[in-house]
Amino acid sequence: MTSGNPSVGEIVWIDDLSDGALAHAGAKMARLGGLRRHGVQVPDGFVITTDVFLDFLDRTGAGATIDEILRRVRASEGLEALQTAARAARAAIELHPIAPRVADTIVDAYEELSFRRRDLNIPVAVRSSATGEDASDASFAGLFDTYLGVTGWQRVLDAVRSCWSSLFTERAIDYRLQKGFDYRASPMAVGVIELVRALASGVAFSIHPVSGSVDRMVIEGSWGWGEAVVQGLVQPDHIEIGKSDRRVLEYQVANKRVVSCFDYARGLVVEQEMPKRLRTERMLDEEQTGAVINAVLTIEACYGYPVDVEWVLDRHRRPGEPITIVQTRPITVKSALKSTPQWDPVAYAAKYAFSGKK
Amino acid sequence: MANIVSVDEFVTKEWYPGFTPSYAQSPWCTEPINTFRKEDEERFWFLDFHWPRGLSPMGILFLEDCYAWGTQTSAQSLPLPPGKGITQRIGGTHVYASEVPTASEWEIGFRAMRIQKNLPVFLQNFDSIWANRVEELDAALKYFEAYDFSGKSLADIGQYLIDARTFQKRAWEIHFEVMYPLLANYLGFYGVCSELRIDPGEISKFLQGYDTKILACDRELWLLTRDARNAGLSGVFARTEPENLQVALKAESRAANWCKKFDDFLNLYGWRTEGISDINLAPWVEDPTSPLGTIKTFLQKGKDHNFEAARKAAIEEREASIDQARSKLTREEQTQFDGALASCQKANFAWWNDEHNFYVDLRASIPLRRGCLALSSALGAGDKEDTLYIFWPELMSIVRGQKKFAEFRGLVRDRRQYYHHWMERRPSMPKVLGTIPDAVTDPILIEIFGMHHHFFNAIKSKGKDVTTLTGVAASAGKVKGKARVLHSAGELHRIQPGEILVCEATSPNWTPAFAKIAACVCDGGGTLTHASIISREYRIPCVVGVGLATQAIATGDEVEVDGTAGRVVVFKAARA
Repeated sequence: MTSGNPSVGEIVWIDDLSDGALAHAGAKMARLGGLRRHGVQVPDGFVITTDVFLDFLDRTGAGATIDEILRRVRASEGLEALQTAARAARAAIELHPIAPRVADTIVDAYEELSFRRRDLNIPVAVRSSATGEDASDASFAGLFDTYLGVTGWQRVLDAVRSCWSSLFTERAIDYRLQKGFDYRASPMAVGVIELVRALASGVAFSIHPVSGSVDRMVIEGSWGWGEAVVQGLVQPDHIEIGKSDRRVLEYQVANKRVVSCFDYARGLVVEQEMPKRLRTERMLDEEQTGAVINAVLTIEACYGYPVDVEWVLDRHRRPGEPITIVQTRPITVKSALKSTPQWDPVAYAAKYAFSGKK
Repeated sequence: MANIVSVDEFVTKEWYPGFTPSYAQSPWCTEPINTFRKEDEERFWFLDFHWPRGLSPMGILFLEDCYAWGTQTSAQSLPLPPGKGITQRIGGTHVYASEVPTASEWEIGFRAMRIQKNLPVFLQNFDSIWANRVEELDAALKYFEAYDFSGKSLADIGQYLIDARTFQKRAWEIHFEVMYPLLANYLGFYGVCSELRIDPGEISKFLQGYDTKILACDRELWLLTRDARNAGLSGVFARTEPENLQVALKAESRAANWCKKFDDFLNLYGWRTEGISDINLAPWVEDPTSPLGTIKTFLQKGKDHNFEAARKAAIEEREASIDQARSKLTREEQTQFDGALASCQKANFAWWNDEHNFYVDLRASIPLRRGCLALSSALGAGDKEDTLYIFWPELMSIVRGQKKFAEFRGLVRDRRQYYHHWMERRPSMPKVLGTIPDAVTDPILIEIFGMHHHFFNAIKSKGKDVTTLTGVAASAGKVKGKARVLHSAGELHRIQPGEILVCEATSPNWTPAFAKIAACVCDGGGTLTHASIISREYRIPCVVGVGLATQAIATGDEVEVDGTAGRVVVFKAARA
């Protein structure tokens, strides 16, 4: 077991996630639990804890195989060795089925999630939720796999295993080698959460992510699910907001050429070309923008530091209802936070009048 | 192009034929003016656009007393932390200028402490400071402009000249005393706007639409144009060359009334020259060819320039621009912007930069010129301008009776030839000499001369096959037309309506031409140089600080000026 933390069980529902669950549920899922407790609207779902992952490695022998692979890659050098190791480690996990008893537990939870919606086979997002050192390092954001729109228990089980194996991508292995980290000290938890029926999605920053200005908030987004935005596949609409009076300062409508949408045949969210008519349509109206602003300000106030969030506008949301938040992180800006200074002719003359910088 | 341009061609100790100054021939503050020495090559010198004809011996007195003295004393008293003002070198008869840097890091910090105390006090009290200076200038101008030379002795004229020199020097002390802090204030505001990501093209609009004495003069010229048309004088104007208009109008009986109005106009607004502080230029009161020529071309235009509408539009545009910019700012940013804008509207460089020309730049040298002309006449010189070719120490020896004017006749002839020789060479004078830097620190050089990165880029890329030139986007709009490249104000009347003016820079007296041209392109300048301000008032596209426009473009070339993007595309005309 990791770090001597007491076991919390194999499955933990978002409602039951406490801050203490971080070591077993991973940062991503633990924060969702925190948001729910603070009254922020987050989708329902559960975590498959790190215990399940570690048990899987031991029981199947995949752990021993991977240890051997990593020992070899440590002794060698070069990208090729890394690629080979990553392929082999991921295969070691995906080769083995999840033990029937554990699989039953996961399927049960999935069916419970469907039942709560009086539905069956509901589409879910299966998300890697890393723990330990990896989880707090910004360079790891978005590194591990996420599968959107997974439907049916068999696909859910496959997606869970793929999330586990994404702990052994080239970049992840290389990163841990550089830092001297052991993957067992930061094992993988996996979140299975209800897929929000996204009309539009995107990200938001509670400060200006480039200038560091604390007076401003930035919202970016596009039609459909947020994958295309998060992965940078689409140029999103860009909204800047003055935080003190929640006023929209500018709304740049982008020509949005790619959309993440639900592929019913494959039962997955996939990227495809944006329909022409949607490309230059505004993705958020004033009221919807206000709902994103509310959520971001609430979350920033809860944490007491600047945050970024991933938001989703449910297509069945009615005006006045909250926006859904599917992820949040503290912002790690390289430049310091900046509040707007008062006008001072001497300071500005010193900065600009004698430098030729204009 | 190498980053060092040789000064060899201009190295000499003689300022003009027969004149090598002795030590301390003139008082100086930090660094005196001089001719070029080889060691000057280590510094950066640029051809100053203000004197496209070059300077006569008496004109050079302006460099010593005003340009060097004024910038240097003001840079010391404000003070400017990194710079000690501007010094000059004479290349032939042409003026090259360079900043005088503060070498010591400690001294820069020490000076920064002082400006910290002085600048806010100046900005707070700008209204009363400027009002006091105007009172001072007005009183002196009244004395000199009313001075009657009839029956005055050589000694009297000598004393008048000494006083006129004292006044010119004082006027330019005021000029730079006010200009540096206003400019620092403006550039700080510009910096705030850049930080707030306000489109640079918008910034100058925030400060436009305030009435000046120079615009008042233009209005009067249009009123005179209307009166001339109503008095049936259009025909006389149409068939007479500008230089003959004064005589032709006097001969016309129905013009009597109009001529009286015109004389009244000259009394108020005629104390101005065609360029900045060049004693060789006759003011309008002495030679009204320029205002009469302007009225002639205004009559050709057929319809009046509607000043009220233009002004109203400028003010509306200003207020709309401010609202538009503020709407994109957070409350905190609005507070900062409002503070900076209020500071710049109260101590408004853009406004002052036009207004002060009426009192100083176009006017403060006229008393000295009148004294010199009176002396020529008293000495029985062959030409009224002969005394302009005599250096001050020589002139003093004449009025004191130590030397006879006759001793100088040969020199005057040689120097006049020398002056004209160098005037011919102006178009081919190197734009810069010495070591080209990446940046300069003096705000006058940066903003008035346009010594920013566009300029240095253009200078460094000289010789390449340039068809697109870039510069400062000074006045919005895009237009295409035939280029008219002008090297001096004397050629202003050649401009045809709809042409694109290409020049080193414009001075306030070029203003009337802006009612005719379609766009303006200048080698030097920033967003607040004369051409930029007037282009916005007249709502025509303008790009300044282009670097080598007058060399890259020839009269007759097809030119597209994009004043919004700061781009000039040149379509070369076929050459015979």
